[in-house]
Amino acid sequence: MGCSSSLPDRTTSGRLDSLNSQVVGATESKNARVKLVLLGDSGVGKSCIVLRFVRGQFDPNSKVTVGASFLSQTIALHDSTTVKFEIWDTAGQERYAALAPLYYRGAAVAVVVYDITSPESFDKAQYWVKELQKHGNPDIVMALVGNKADLHENRKVPVQDGVDYAEKNGMFFIETSAKTADNINELFEEIAKRLPQVSSS
Amino acid sequence: MEVSSNSLTFYDFLDRMRHPASLDLVRSIKSFIVSFSFCTANSESDSKKLQDFLLTMESSIRDHPLWAGATEEEIDCAVEFAQKELQKMNAFKAPREKLLCILNCCRVINNLLLNVAMSSDNVPAGADDFLPILIYVTIKANPPQLHSNLKFIQLYRRQSKLISEAAYYFTNLMSAKSFIIDLDAKSLSINESEFQEKMIQARLDKQEKCIEPCPKLEDMAGPGPSTRRHEMEINMVVEEDYPFMRADPGELTVADVEKLLNLYKEVVTKYSRLRRAVKSLPLAKEPALHFLEAQDTLPRQPRQQEAQLILPQQPKQQDASDITEAK
Repeated sequence: MGCSSSLPDRTTSGRLDSLNSQVVGATESKNARVKLVLLGDSGVGKSCIVLRFVRGQFDPNSKVTVGASFLSQTIALHDSTTVKFEIWDTAGQERYAALAPLYYRGAAVAVVVYDITSPESFDKAQYWVKELQKHGNPDIVMALVGNKADLHENRKVPVQDGVDYAEKNGMFFIETSAKTADNINELFEEIAKRLPQVSSS
Repeated sequence: MEVSSNSLTFYDFLDRMRHPASLDLVRSIKSFIVSFSFCTANSESDSKKLQDFLLTMESSIRDHPLWAGATEEEIDCAVEFAQKELQKMNAFKAPREKLLCILNCCRVINNLLLNVAMSSDNVPAGADDFLPILIYVTIKANPPQLHSNLKFIQLYRRQSKLISEAAYYFTNLMSAKSFIIDLDAKSLSINESEFQEKMIQARLDKQEKCIEPCPKLEDMAGPGPSTRRHEMEINMVVEEDYPFMRADPGELTVADVEKLLNLYKEVVTKYSRLRRAVKSLPLAKEPALHFLEAQDTLPRQPRQQEAQLILPQQPKQQDASDITEAK
């Protein structure tokens, strides 16, 4: 599947156009390169989730050579398939909302994040889901993530609300805590499994 | 002002480097320089080595007790540095190089964010912080021909190279650009009247700046703005013969070089003939000679240009003095 055979050297993957193809750079479905875009209100912990996933730690003092807004991480699945996530963070402030299409264009995965202690951020997450349904890639894999699950005593968004909304919109739902690393790897593993190219191999 | 604070910081840097506590840093810089002299030059691998060195050096300097905690001034300095990276973009020809300018600019911003995160509240900075700074830097830098350069990169950078991180930072600058284009009171969270007021003020400031001849590339390539009106009048007459009279340096393509050269030769020939003709006139036409002389010796004085023979913009003004030597 995918972009097979005409270019045997998968390390160079020369002819592939990242802007248009969904799972990009994969000359074999066994090694997929996936563009993942993170959407969500500012302050919900989008970059913390990614840092946790990529560096396996919450410690912000860890060395970041380039920046936290673009990071990539490869994970191996059980069937020896590897998926390299290229994670595009977006600015969550309202004033930048109009710019989001530039980022989610060509993305194979969209992870919409909200903060379980903030109903506003949950509203914002729903806005992003609608936005993606209207203007995004129709085959995009969407995940709804309720972050800051460690702050359950301040919870304002019931788990069931997230579950229901995700189910209604054909999304995968999970609650995470970037602080305690709860469900961070599970989130990305589940996404990898849902990628059409990967699962069909 | 900005320049002086910038150099101050640099001297400050040198001072700190002289401090005995910096000995280990100095030592590693020296050994890096020495390591270079043992290998044959190869720009690609040299660049890689240098970049790696700069990266490690930067973080070790940052970790060094003498440099711990970035000051306001250092942050300003970094922002200024990021602007300079962005301004370089137009000067490079290859899409790869232009793209690199963007990446360098973003790298500077990211390092700044990292510094701040480490020395203050420890929240790792993501796009929520990155994009606003990039927009700020882009506005401050006002890089020449930004839109065209971005379009150029998008069209001509090898697609397989405009991926991943490069694509991400490129997209960020694209969105910074479109944010700036659509800028209004709402997007800046200020009220409409304040926005209008500031915009008018900014336009006035800009006009003032334009009256003062500023050492911008566009101005260096042609006569100063004060001669524009006069130039326009001549343009009306000679536009057909000299199609580059109204061209901006940025509009010219490589294909224009040949045309320009031919026009240049034509103008020089005409000019030399005219000079000879004027000189051989039996009546010594003092004023006429004067004005030609004045142009030769004082080509850059705007006041004289009222009476100047205007050459096409592209054989630059220094060519006017070449003509005198050629005659």
